[in-house]
Amino acid sequence: MTMTQSDLAIHAHGLAKRFGAVQAVSRIDLVVAPGEALGLLGSNGAGKSTTLSMLMGLCAPDAGKALVFGHPVGSPAARRLTGATPQATDLPDQVTPREILTYAALRYGVAPAIDRLTADFGLDDLIDRRVAGFSGGQMRRVALALAFVGQPRLVFLDEPTSGLDSAAQQAFRVMARSYVAQGGALVLTSHHWDEIEAICSSIAVIDRGETVLAGRIDTIRDRARITRLGFDLPPGLVPPLWLGARHDGARWQVETGDSDTLLRRMVTEALPFANLTLQPLELKDLIHHLRHEENRP
Amino acid sequence: MTRHLSAELGLTLRILFRQPGFWIPTVLFPAMLYAFFGANSGGGAWAANAMASFAVYAVLGVGFFQFGVSVAQDRASPFATWQSTLPGSAVPQWIARIIAAVIFVTLAVALVIALAHLMTDVDLPARAWGRLAAVCLMATGTATLMGIALGSVASARAAVPLANLVYLPLAYLGGLWVPPIAMPAAINAISEWTPTRAMGELAWAAMEGRAWSLQDLGLLAAWTLAAAAMTGLTTRPLRRRPSA
Ligand SMILES: Nc1ncnc2c1ncn2[C@@H]1O[C@H](COP(=O)(O)OP(=O)(O)OP(=O)(O)O)[C@@H](O)[C@H]1O
Ligand SMILES: [Mg+2]
Repeated sequence: MTMTQSDLAIHAHGLAKRFGAVQAVSRIDLVVAPGEALGLLGSNGAGKSTTLSMLMGLCAPDAGKALVFGHPVGSPAARRLTGATPQATDLPDQVTPREILTYAALRYGVAPAIDRLTADFGLDDLIDRRVAGFSGGQMRRVALALAFVGQPRLVFLDEPTSGLDSAAQQAFRVMARSYVAQGGALVLTSHHWDEIEAICSSIAVIDRGETVLAGRIDTIRDRARITRLGFDLPPGLVPPLWLGARHDGARWQVETGDSDTLLRRMVTEALPFANLTLQPLELKDLIHHLRHEENRP
Repeated sequence: MTRHLSAELGLTLRILFRQPGFWIPTVLFPAMLYAFFGANSGGGAWAANAMASFAVYAVLGVGFFQFGVSVAQDRASPFATWQSTLPGSAVPQWIARIIAAVIFVTLAVALVIALAHLMTDVDLPARAWGRLAAVCLMATGTATLMGIALGSVASARAAVPLANLVYLPLAYLGGLWVPPIAMPAAINAISEWTPTRAMGELAWAAMEGRAWSLQDLGLLAAWTLAAAAMTGLTTRPLRRRPSA
């Protein structure tokens, strides 16, 4: 079965956005299906929030096109199906979370599931308190609940767990996974690799406004089964150049897609290594490795 | 639409009324100025006209200044950014703002009128009060829309000085502080084109039992339409820049 554009939660291509002299986003392509969680990765200023702003219909792209379930982003139909927590959150001091949630639900035209949201986002002590004086993490919890109050089929979360304590982060992961398991589509940005790995099935790495690596996490892993070898050598001894090992301050390390061949050669050439360790590369290092490889001439 | 409007109105009024630091000065300010500068202008027709002038000034201060400025400040807030991701049209939000402005204007004008009763001998037929109320209501629409138009183009930081730059001269040029007959001819020539002069003329006509002139009504309508058009143009759902 092939997906048509209106089956896809997001179908975006060639998105670009410039702010004065800054080309915030130069070429972004994204496809997200229902039941998929996409993690946007990239350093500060890479263009993640700008990309989300365009997908939420908050700013018009200079070029490119984006559809949400087949509807143009920012259109009434697209907004009806979408929930969002922008990177910056501030809520009016004078109102309570219950009041804001009720307001938002009314705009979506749904009944506010206050009790469920209170439980999901740990709002028990906060729900009827005025927002004035909420801590950063408390504010964040309300902002996250607001993304889900309209029963959206697609949710955008810009650094959802920044400021959350570890219990709240854990609860958020559980909540996000169950949302996706029930067919929801999720796009989130994060600087935490473990969070991306815990929630997302796909990633898109953005660098200076461009998608430089994108795909399903398991595919990326399969594409490059990279193993990291660590070993010690007698003091003063340097490994041969063909091995391409580096010293990380404590041990010698080498990354390889073919550890068998490498190990055999290390043995044949009688390298006096000790304390050998082998471990699969973490996603973060894997991506670093892949981008490094691709950039080699 | 009505459910949406009542949700917007509930939110707007909660936010405003739960801030005594906002609404108390907003409501008191025009009455205070009236007590200092308007209430001692003698008795009879003068007293009624001065009261009407400050009633219109109260409308301008609350509608144009407070609500216009708050639009600019809201626009820069992350909460407003999030709000614009929600489904539904932006129109109920504007209507809720205007209704809230009407409520605050009513309080501010009522205070001016109460002071007029305490400090002067104003005594008007019911019909004159009714016509003054009608003028205030029309003026609220115009002033609030003008404020919103200014608020939607000015940045949060520029809104207060810019609003002052427009609203103080408008109050003066409209003859709300100094009656038009006391104005130099050149100033009066400009005055005749201002929305505040139209508001003033309509209010004074109500006080003096004269009929409203079509010219003043037309001028007020033209300013209202211009402000509405400008607001509509500057607040399309897709802005060129994110406001966050
Ligand atoms: N409204 C704006 N006006 C001017 N420049 C902007 C604006 N918004 C974003 N930029 C610039 O665009 C680039 C991308 O910013 P963006 O906020 O998308 O980064 P990001 O990937 O979300 O970073 P972070 O991880 O720090 O949140 C940056 O160089 C930023 O300074
Ligand atoms: Mg960001």
